[in-house]
Amino acid sequence: MSERRDVNENDGVIHYELQEFQVFEPLFRWARKKSLWIVAFCTGCGGIEIPPLATARYDYERFGIMPNPSPRMGDLFLITGYVTPKTLKRIIVTYEMMQDPKYILTHGSCPINGGVYWDSYNVVKQLDKYIPIDVSIAGCMPRVEAVMDGIMEIMRKIESGEADGWRRYRENYDYYRKNQDELFGEGWREKEAKRWLAWI
Amino acid sequence: MVAVDWKLILEAIGILIYAILVGFLFMGIERKAMARIQRRVGPPIYQPLIDTLKLLGKKESISHGFIYDFGPIFALAASIAALLFIPIANFQLFSSNADLIVVAYLLEVPMLGIMLGAMSSGNPFSALGVQRGLLTMVAMQLPYGLALIALVQHWGTFKLTEIAALQQVQGWSITVPALLLAFIVFDIVFQAMLGLEPFDIITAPAEISMGPMVEYGGKHAAILFTQHAVQLFAETAFFAVLFLGGASNLLTLFLKQLAVLFIAIFVASIYPRFTVDQAAKFFWKWPTIIGIIAVLLTV
Ligand code: SF4
Repeated sequence: MSERRDVNENDGVIHYELQEFQVFEPLFRWARKKSLWIVAFCTGCGGIEIPPLATARYDYERFGIMPNPSPRMGDLFLITGYVTPKTLKRIIVTYEMMQDPKYILTHGSCPINGGVYWDSYNVVKQLDKYIPIDVSIAGCMPRVEAVMDGIMEIMRKIESGEADGWRRYRENYDYYRKNQDELFGEGWREKEAKRWLAWI
Repeated sequence: MVAVDWKLILEAIGILIYAILVGFLFMGIERKAMARIQRRVGPPIYQPLIDTLKLLGKKESISHGFIYDFGPIFALAASIAALLFIPIANFQLFSSNADLIVVAYLLEVPMLGIMLGAMSSGNPFSALGVQRGLLTMVAMQLPYGLALIALVQHWGTFKLTEIAALQQVQGWSITVPALLLAFIVFDIVFQAMLGLEPFDIITAPAEISMGPMVEYGGKHAAILFTQHAVQLFAETAFFAVLFLGGASNLLTLFLKQLAVLFIAIFVASIYPRFTVDQAAKFFWKWPTIIGIIAVLLTV
């Protein structure tokens, strides 16, 4: 059978990549590039750069980009600044909730190497060790033009198929998992989940 | 051997494809017009099509069980059923002696379908959204019913084709003073049916992050998008048939639908959102009073 389909009983996720539809892959890539839905998750200083992007002056809706509050529908995860371990937990959970293919764009120097917080005890220095990043924009804080440029870059990478963070995450899950566990300690997911159970 | 009416089947499929495409176009026009009102450039007009394509191209879909998968399909089927009852340019697949009531209630079933699926996902936001949705539906039933009663009393028939034909002879519904009031009521309810701004309390993105839609992604969301397109087409066509004299060809229908849609867009882009209790109070006050006046005038 040319169809690969494995149902994981634990998480109820259906993964499928239909080989028959490979011909349509360029079309889907074009559609993915033209309709990036942003998961509205603002950390650090960069969240304030999003309103000018969304409003009349730069208007990212021209490229079909739309803020979307639900991670299930999101494609593009903007990490807009420094990440503390506490935020990183939420980022990882949200990222895993999003559905493949998904992309990460980071703003500023902080997610790359800690930026001005290079010697802080409470900032994640190298975000790339915990989740796969597709495009990083350097600068403190990158201006809106730079963010626009980053978005163009990720659109180009999506079309050429270079933006494969979601695939890297799936393939090197052990590596990322190991780094995450080193930071938070084993079993942090279960602990987090228990705290939220009261709300559900 | 049962004789298969191929022409009818082809016509039905044709209407369906046309409705989906025009529905997507309407969704695109909605986004573009809103962007222009906010002085932005806005997405291309075919953006909803790209979005749907992208959602179809997603490589995984979360499922929360059978009911969760069934909800969107149920909603899509209900929208299509409603569409086939509406006379679209002399074509009407099903007809009965009371199509008006059938369509009026079939148009509300999709919301129930989405809620059914959403409830089974177990997300607290979905539950909140469903609660709000049911409340809005209860609130809008009264003015909705009153507007339809006024209409039926004036034209004296429940058949949509007859209502359209009578309007061709005696002038559109909105030229009758009593029905003009009914039109205003219906337009307010219409805003809530489309889920547009003053009454977008169901999906309120900033409060309860899309409400019932929060768990849907990938192919489920693509089905919901298609459903929304069909629903938009069916609702605007229903409106045009009831109040704007129906249409004998697709172009006239399209122009009338566009007029109806633009009223909704303009209203949506200047009003902020009601809270749930405000919406219920509003529905049971002004539209109801106007609706009662309209019904009394037509007696
Ligand atoms: S790079 Fe600069 S602006 Fe961005 S989060 Fe770090 S300190 Fe803030």
